[in-house]
Amino acid sequence: MTLRVFLALMAGASILNSALTSADAQSTAGENTRVVPAPAASNVPNVPEQVTATTDSARSYDARALRFESSLGNVRIIRGADGQLVGTGGWFRDTELEKLVATSPNALAQARLYEKNNFRGSLVGTLGAITSVVGLVLTTNSSNSAASPALIIGGVGAMVWGVQHVNMSYSALSRALWWYNRDLSR
Amino acid sequence: MSRLLLALCVGAHLTFGGPAVLTAQDGSYDENALRIEGQSGDLRIVRGVQGTLVARISGFRTTDVAKLVAPSEHAMAEAKIFSRDYLPGSWIAGLGIATLGAAIGASRIDDVNRLIPAGLTVSAAALLIYGGGRLENAYNALARSVWWYNRDLKK
Repeated sequence: MTLRVFLALMAGASILNSALTSADAQSTAGENTRVVPAPAASNVPNVPEQVTATTDSARSYDARALRFESSLGNVRIIRGADGQLVGTGGWFRDTELEKLVATSPNALAQARLYEKNNFRGSLVGTLGAITSVVGLVLTTNSSNSAASPALIIGGVGAMVWGVQHVNMSYSALSRALWWYNRDLSR
Repeated sequence: MSRLLLALCVGAHLTFGGPAVLTAQDGSYDENALRIEGQSGDLRIVRGVQGTLVARISGFRTTDVAKLVAPSEHAMAEAKIFSRDYLPGSWIAGLGIATLGAAIGASRIDDVNRLIPAGLTVSAAALLIYGGGRLENAYNALARSVWWYNRDLKK
């Protein structure tokens, strides 16, 4: 009798503990986490189910996870192990990153930051370069205008600001892809 | 009866065990997955949601990326490409910048042979293009290395 009571208590505690763990897993897994449903056929053992979930996860990452590489100053967004090109961007060019990572809210926020900083950095950096060149041309032509050094200094300052913002945009791009890959079904 | 309860106990563990495994996988990515960020001209490899700094790459200083991504074979292979290309690329590009400076300096001297600044400028351009190419290869290999490392976290 004591053994039966003990076993009953153990079973109850085990079920409760497992159920709580399951609920916690589902609540902390995030919006885009897809819990792999149990197979319909009840004769399929559960341990292989976990293996299948892991394999599906790896397959999903292999097929869908994004990364970015650069080519002659342009950004190339690449998907999966095969390296499929899904977007290109660069100075003043939109990668449509927001559409690519729309399924992940954190990634979307970083994608917006990327596009904002990239545009500002590109614009100010380009204006700075043009201003510097104008200043250099004026200086080379022996112009005594006081504006020449101001143009060069202002232009270089704008270029530095622009490069910093482009740099910040790449960090945001890296974070966007990190979050997107994180939120792939796993 | 006790056998029935034991079976129930084991069954409950197996039935609710799946999602708990998925939590561990998520936790692993959140805590361990790497990414590359830039700050003030440096490249920083950071880990996890908190962005813990694990490596810094700047100028002529680098880190052993292969060691950092060691559990993943693909990642290590890409990290070796990074190590192979990064420092030579940095030095060659640095030499290109120095040569460009020399070319500008030479062009300012009045009685110098015009071929010297021209030759220096061409050499500088060649060094910058070659060094830049090596650096670009290195950065792309680093990006792939981190991608493979994060991919293999879930195994």
